[in-house]
Amino acid sequence: MSHAQRAPQSPQTPQMAEPLSTVADTVIRAVRGALITAAVLIVLALFFGRLFGPLWKSLNVDESFSQTLAGLASLLLPLAVYLALGMGARAHRKRSTTQAAVITIALATVAVAIFYILNTSQGAGAAAEQSSLQFAATQTADGIVVDAIEPGGAAELAGLLPGDVITALRRDPITLAQLESAVAESEPDTPFRLRLLRAGEEMQLTVRTVAVAVESAGLKLGPIAAAWIGGAAVALIGLFGPPGWAPYILLTVSLSPLILGFAWLAVATVSYRTQGLLPIDAQGNVGGLTLENWSFLGIGGEAPATPIWSYAANSLFIAMLMTGVTLVLSSMAGYALSRMEFSGRRFFLSLTLILHSFPAVTLLIPVYLVLLNLGKIPLIGPHIGFNSIGGIALVMIAFGLPFGVWLMKGFFDNISWDMERSALIDGASRWRTFWEIILPQIRPGLLALGIFSFIGGWNAYLIPAIFSIGTKAANLPVYIRTLTGDTNAVNWNQVVAVGVFQMIPILVIFVFAQEYLLNIYSGGSKGSS
Amino acid sequence: MQVDIQNLTKKFGDVTAVADVSLDIRDGEFVAFLGPSGCGKTTTLLMLAGIYKPTDGTITFGERIVNLVPPRERNIGMVFQSYALYPHMTVFGNIAYPLKLKNVSRADQQERVKRVADVMGIGELLDRKPAQLSGGQQQRVALGRALVKEPDILLFDEPLSNLDARLRLTMRAEIKALQKRLGITSVYVTHDQVEALTMADRIAVMNKGRLEAYATPEDLYDHPRTTFIANFVGNPPINMVDVELAQENGQVVARCAAFTVPLDSERVRKAVAHGRKLTMGIRAEDITLGDDAALTGEVYAVEPLGREDMLDVRIGAESFFALATPQQRMRAGDRIGLHIDAERLQFFDPATGKSVLWE
Repeated sequence: MSHAQRAPQSPQTPQMAEPLSTVADTVIRAVRGALITAAVLIVLALFFGRLFGPLWKSLNVDESFSQTLAGLASLLLPLAVYLALGMGARAHRKRSTTQAAVITIALATVAVAIFYILNTSQGAGAAAEQSSLQFAATQTADGIVVDAIEPGGAAELAGLLPGDVITALRRDPITLAQLESAVAESEPDTPFRLRLLRAGEEMQLTVRTVAVAVESAGLKLGPIAAAWIGGAAVALIGLFGPPGWAPYILLTVSLSPLILGFAWLAVATVSYRTQGLLPIDAQGNVGGLTLENWSFLGIGGEAPATPIWSYAANSLFIAMLMTGVTLVLSSMAGYALSRMEFSGRRFFLSLTLILHSFPAVTLLIPVYLVLLNLGKIPLIGPHIGFNSIGGIALVMIAFGLPFGVWLMKGFFDNISWDMERSALIDGASRWRTFWEIILPQIRPGLLALGIFSFIGGWNAYLIPAIFSIGTKAANLPVYIRTLTGDTNAVNWNQVVAVGVFQMIPILVIFVFAQEYLLNIYSGGSKGSS
Repeated sequence: MQVDIQNLTKKFGDVTAVADVSLDIRDGEFVAFLGPSGCGKTTTLLMLAGIYKPTDGTITFGERIVNLVPPRERNIGMVFQSYALYPHMTVFGNIAYPLKLKNVSRADQQERVKRVADVMGIGELLDRKPAQLSGGQQQRVALGRALVKEPDILLFDEPLSNLDARLRLTMRAEIKALQKRLGITSVYVTHDQVEALTMADRIAVMNKGRLEAYATPEDLYDHPRTTFIANFVGNPPINMVDVELAQENGQVVARCAAFTVPLDSERVRKAVAHGRKLTMGIRAEDITLGDDAALTGEVYAVEPLGREDMLDVRIGAESFFALATPQQRMRAGDRIGLHIDAERLQFFDPATGKSVLWE
């Protein structure tokens, strides 16, 4: 569609020969496009929601992913239809831009109306059901005063009496408006644990919501106008946007859950609590930003007894040790395995492969014993034994080496033998050939493995958590664990803040090194000269 | 530097790559190793280079047996098919690398690299990286790198196979001229018989790890010792036909299922003395087309080669390559007479494949 737009000068283009499209043509084309788009998305939603999801579920696989996709497809449906309408009317712009815009807006209006009718008939119309606690109340300064109880309703069953003053939902203070919206959003049979005052006594009651038929709330003009303006705007983007934009718009929208996740991460680190993406304070009002979560950095509050830098330094040492040793050993072993013939070579190769696929968890106890004994070596023992950075790095290196050796071997295998033959004939020793000729050529591989090891070492949790005690050799992930594991209340926002702090170096590395990381999976120096 | 190879054998596990090869290379001589892929020619070359150690036999450079001498102590230069340029070094770095390894002073390196680069015509490219060069330029850099340390022996491993046809022709002449001018003993491995025939002083034809023949190009072409050599050398390939020689009316005739043709020459008489059932070889250029010939065949296919047309002529079940000028306007389906030059015939023993004319 957009392609034909771009090449009107070409005399071969059939559109030139045809008369300009009439209004009826344009409407038909736009509606057809919209119907096809809608059909595709409906099929997709049905596929993921009704076929794919249950199929996975039957295999005992968590299938929230397919549900998400199904939800996304239905969520995108109106948007895609508006876009398709606008794009269907594109051809009409050659005749008259104003007419095209009018047609687009008119069609979008019809589409908005159809969606609205579909929505109300399904969700909020006469046949719709809504969760309710079945009592009437008013908001006072003391709390929510229960005015009347529906006979035989959920509130009565739970034992709620008129005159009760509801103060909180679980431990959180609540207003009537908040309670109503929470109830409306809930599924039927959701328990609400209400804290209330009855004759001055504080008590708790759990009321379960029930589904009740809702009388039509009448036309609310606000949402309709918003939907109409949004729909028309999207349709006009379809009409006037540069050709080829539609995929980007759709991709951006479908990416939004991911983006929202990161946005929440950022917001959560600087707030006491969040509701959705909004930071809220103790009273439930929007606001209440704080730097307290970052107090581990010595800002906005009292720094903890063991400064975060000690954990960060441990993380860094482990990562650097791992990177350095893995690079040196993997490249040398990989070279030997790729180039030299020696007895036991094949055996060694299969052994490393087995080790690579061996779950590290199963080796924890033997490794613990080994580390304990290593620690008994005089002089160097304390640096490579149990509860030492060296010991942790040693174990991680051992688990990481098989992968590194295989990766490096793959890179070396890709280098022509002629290269080192040439170097040997030119007069280089084997070592110089390796160092001056071959290694520089697998630099992309070295970088990839180095970054990979560094990230692995920086983020390592299992090994440091098990082979360290206290704070001497604990790294950042272990620190995060201590934040969540204590008996006192967990400040999740602080956990998030430390997590973000830990993520920053990785993020920086990713920005600069994603190209090299991809090399791990291509296993060659292709594409890098 | 003269090179002497005696009973050279190389085995990889159970596979024998080179078997009992003996040959000598004179000082300043240009020798080509010719053979199909997998015939052991590159293995032999790599043994000369010192990359592979011989399983058996000796390699002598001058007076010195070098079997166990590592490559860097052999003072050889080698050019690879893939050029094997070091991609992370500039052209200068590439050419200077052998000198750097010999601890030649920086000033000397500059001077010698410059000199070689000028000889090779790549003086302008010294700052470039190999990836920025064309195939021909890379080839020159590789050659320059091999020459810069003034080697005693130059080894070439199919250096021209990656170049386009035209460039190959130019480089062929250049390498040949350079080798003659510098007088460096050279060994050149190739599967392209034209390269071997045009460049080499002597050609060692190898087949299945064995040395089939070691002779000058002319000798190889005119006096093939075996059917393998006759088949491998020459383009279009030699026509081979199993015949029975018989005396008829005081004349020798060659007879096979498809035809009977009288032949008379010294070679034919010599062949008859060896036996009756023989394989007869006729090169395409030794067949002339004419109307009044003892043999007639049908043109099956015509391949225009520009200067001449190559004909595939069928006589019964036998197929012959013959050459015609484009002016003769041969068409598939034409009937033509074939005139065989009996003085140029080759005869082989069908059982052993050995020539009955040449020892």
